[in-house]
Amino acid sequence: MIEILLIILAPIIGGFIYGAERIVRARMQNRLGPPLLQPFYDMYKLMDKQAFIINSYHTILGIMHFVTLWVVVAFVIVGQNLLYIIFLHLLSSIFLILAGFSVKSIYSHIGANRELIAMIAYEPILIMLAVAFFMLNGSFEISAIRENSSALFSIPLLFLAFLLIVPIKLKKSPFDAIQAHQEIIGGVEVEFSGIFFEFLYMAKLLEYVFIYALVMLFAGDSFILALTLFLAVFFLVNLLDNSTARIRIDHLIKIVLVIGLTLATLNIIGLSYV
Amino acid sequence: MILGLLILAPILFSFVVFMTHLVTRNILVILFVIFLSVISVFNLISLSSVVEIALPHYFHNIFVFLDSVVLIFFLWQGIVKKHALVIALALVQIILYCEVLFLVPTLESSDILVDNIASIMYLIINIVGGIIIIYALKYVESENFSQIKKNGFIAILFLFLGVMNFIVSSNNIEIFFMLFELTTLFSYVLIAYRGNAISVENSLRALWMNQIGGVAILLALILSISHYDTLYFDILIHNRDNLFLLPIVFLILAAFVKAASIPFNKWLIGAMVAPTPVSAILHSATMVKIAPFLMLKLAPAMSGFVSISVTLIGTFVFFTASLLALNKDCFKEILGLSTIALLALMMALAAVGSEQAINATVVLIVFHAISKALLFLQAGILEKNFHLKYVDDIDGLINHSPLTVFFIIIGFASLTLPPFGAFIAKFMAIESIAQEILKNPLYIFALIFITLGSVFLTLLYFKVVTKLFAKNVDFQQEHTKLSNYYVIPSFLLLFLLIIGIYVTFKMELLSSIQIITPVILIAVVPFLFATLLFKKAHRVKEYNCGEKEEIKLGMYYFNVSPNYKKAISIVAIFGMLVLIVGVML
Amino acid sequence: MFNFKKYRKKSPWILHYNAGSCNGCDIEILAALSPKYDLERFGVINTGNPKQSDIFLVTGPVTFRSRERLVELYTQMPEPKVVIALGSCTCTGGVFRDMYNVEDGIDRYIPVDVYIPGCAASPELIIDGIVKALDILEQKTKKMEKPLKLFQDASTKDGIINKRDCALKVGEKDEEN
Repeated sequence: MIEILLIILAPIIGGFIYGAERIVRARMQNRLGPPLLQPFYDMYKLMDKQAFIINSYHTILGIMHFVTLWVVVAFVIVGQNLLYIIFLHLLSSIFLILAGFSVKSIYSHIGANRELIAMIAYEPILIMLAVAFFMLNGSFEISAIRENSSALFSIPLLFLAFLLIVPIKLKKSPFDAIQAHQEIIGGVEVEFSGIFFEFLYMAKLLEYVFIYALVMLFAGDSFILALTLFLAVFFLVNLLDNSTARIRIDHLIKIVLVIGLTLATLNIIGLSYV
Repeated sequence: MILGLLILAPILFSFVVFMTHLVTRNILVILFVIFLSVISVFNLISLSSVVEIALPHYFHNIFVFLDSVVLIFFLWQGIVKKHALVIALALVQIILYCEVLFLVPTLESSDILVDNIASIMYLIINIVGGIIIIYALKYVESENFSQIKKNGFIAILFLFLGVMNFIVSSNNIEIFFMLFELTTLFSYVLIAYRGNAISVENSLRALWMNQIGGVAILLALILSISHYDTLYFDILIHNRDNLFLLPIVFLILAAFVKAASIPFNKWLIGAMVAPTPVSAILHSATMVKIAPFLMLKLAPAMSGFVSISVTLIGTFVFFTASLLALNKDCFKEILGLSTIALLALMMALAAVGSEQAINATVVLIVFHAISKALLFLQAGILEKNFHLKYVDDIDGLINHSPLTVFFIIIGFASLTLPPFGAFIAKFMAIESIAQEILKNPLYIFALIFITLGSVFLTLLYFKVVTKLFAKNVDFQQEHTKLSNYYVIPSFLLLFLLIIGIYVTFKMELLSSIQIITPVILIAVVPFLFATLLFKKAHRVKEYNCGEKEEIKLGMYYFNVSPNYKKAISIVAIFGMLVLIVGVML
Repeated sequence: MFNFKKYRKKSPWILHYNAGSCNGCDIEILAALSPKYDLERFGVINTGNPKQSDIFLVTGPVTFRSRERLVELYTQMPEPKVVIALGSCTCTGGVFRDMYNVEDGIDRYIPVDVYIPGCAASPELIIDGIVKALDILEQKTKKMEKPLKLFQDASTKDGIINKRDCALKVGEKDEEN
């Protein structure tokens, strides 16, 4: 029952995380910041706006991206197979990328291509993460991971590697070359407007839920540790966002692959010896 | 009985096709293909246990005769085309073959052995290959060959199917060698079919590279006869001596040659000059599929050092081939390199040898065949209807032919995304490798190569989509009409993909909801495209900073420097040397 | 029925366009977004994308080169939207008035809702202007506003007119449905 409730409320939870994030970021810069409910105000406003579309393919693929991501989040909450979820998440990214390609717009194309290239960086580490959980629990099922005790102390290096990819998925500095506001104007989302942009906006909120749910997996069955991890990662990511500059997409891939894969490999080799 | 039909009927068909005229030919070919497909399905259903048949001795003489003819033909071609390597390898083969004929092994087994894997291979060969032949009917009409040459083309394709049917059911390494050489011969003839300078050059390259495989098999034969006193696969595998695995390693080497793995990758890429149905049939249903099939046959014999080194070589090739594909701009070459990559993955998985890995290999073989056939058919359509060869020229294809774009995207998606079979195979691959890591940490490199390789392949496929999917805001032109001979085979392959999804239900790897969800998510998209048009919403032009210039989209490539390419080849050759030397020690 | 109109005020997204300004006003806009003045507390985001913004913030006296882009960006913004002319040059042409290459303010081309004077306009004024614009935004309907056709008879070969008329026709046709 509580799972169904969580699934339905997932975009709203994401909205609160995003709202809190904007406040935290503002406070870090010694500002007041928008109210907590700001993401919802944005959504209401977008509903009321006139909607422009380029072509129907573009719009439909954007909506499908949102729907698929919601399904992904639902599967995470229910506790399905982690490896499968990673591939399903890939499907949702592909919908977004196809949407970016379906219009004849330079920014959309650059954004979609960067999204595609960034996949090189985060996909292997996500799969390695799944494999590490498999080695620890003997199963890819998230429900099994949640039942066992915390994996954080068996796979600390993988946790660090995972921390590297959190900013990529959340589009945060220094790894936000994918969206790069003001440079490529949000990349893929540039051509969406009005109510159709709202789907992408909510997809972003769902992405927050997805990533933070993965962070909480490291805590296993301990709820307090999960909360601590969530808060710690939340503050760390926003601190990094405020204190670093954007780096180029090729640097992003080099840094994440070199450091992340090394950490993940070391950790898995260590696991196989223990 | 069924077996005899499967092997002999295509040969008969090829003669019939060669003789008949245009109209009757098309009808006959379609009937033949239906016949072959029905038989192969029937074979799978009726097969209860492993079928073993020992062929009478006079067959043996026919095979020896055929083999000598083929080898002498190679020698003759080498002399006529003045290609030193071909001559040398042909001579080596003839000498080794004579030596094989003088040796008389005593341990006997049945010549023909049909198990489940062979029946599944029949399905792929006959159904997918048959669909490609139907497609070739129209394709070959638009080439400027003479009528005899056109008929001959279709006839050779049928012969190819027959030989493939035979090769997957053979248990005798000597027969296997003969059929191996026959496929080499057919591919040589088909690649050179257009007859211009490039095709002749590439066909010769294909010839000598495949001859290396032939030499490897002959060496394996000699070693197997001298040490194990047999020339049968099952006895060889059953009696294997872990201190003397050299014949098995040479067979593996032959598989790597046939699969065009990295040091030998040039021949498959060169084969692209042939008419597209040839590439389609080489890449999907026949020829290269011998390699993973051979690996599956040898899988029980591999363990320890051989298993891990073959896995590492295979996954390394998977990774590098997909990396190399990133800097190609020819649509067919991109497909070709991704075939090389996936074949290497299949072989690596077969070498892992756990039950799940074997299942993954079989699933990958089947779905790779279907998806690649679908993609190559589209490549042929692009070439014939739109005169496009390079991905850079495929600009806004969706305005002209949404159907082709749809098939291309489905083809790419079926190689990467859930719920299609290739995804299931990748899933099982990662799971089985993860289980192996627990036993041997070296498999971590296989895991890294697989994850990186598969993500590179995803990047490669969807990079191609960049240009073909961009739709103009207001494009009113009529769609280009495609011939039925082009569209129907594509739909048939799509249908096979959907049946494949149904089959994945039976594997009980994923729960039904896990399979149904992505099916619905993907199936709903074309449906929505057709129904939701958003007529009420306002249309605007794309954001272009307020500028009015027409946008010209470009494609990007990843530059892999020649030094890297050399290094990759050296690493791959070094890996194989390590394999051979390690086994010798 | 849920009243969406009051939320327009709470999340104004800005598109800032420099139509040939001396950068003075642009610096002041950045100052207004900075921690001291903190425009974001009203929910303001500087999007840089016309399709997702509500407030069109224009600086500069509109040079010949920039007028086409100005109108193009204006037509690409979804309704309801408000236009703010920021700085003296944008309101009237300022010190550049009557120069050969300058169009003397944006209100010859697009309808302006709020004029913010000053050379350069101070951040306080900008915030004041934006808050004023939000009140206007709340009153607006979703009816398509049209850019003024001031130089329609100047030259029909001028690409901008054809293009703008095209954009208008799209809008008018949809309104009939």
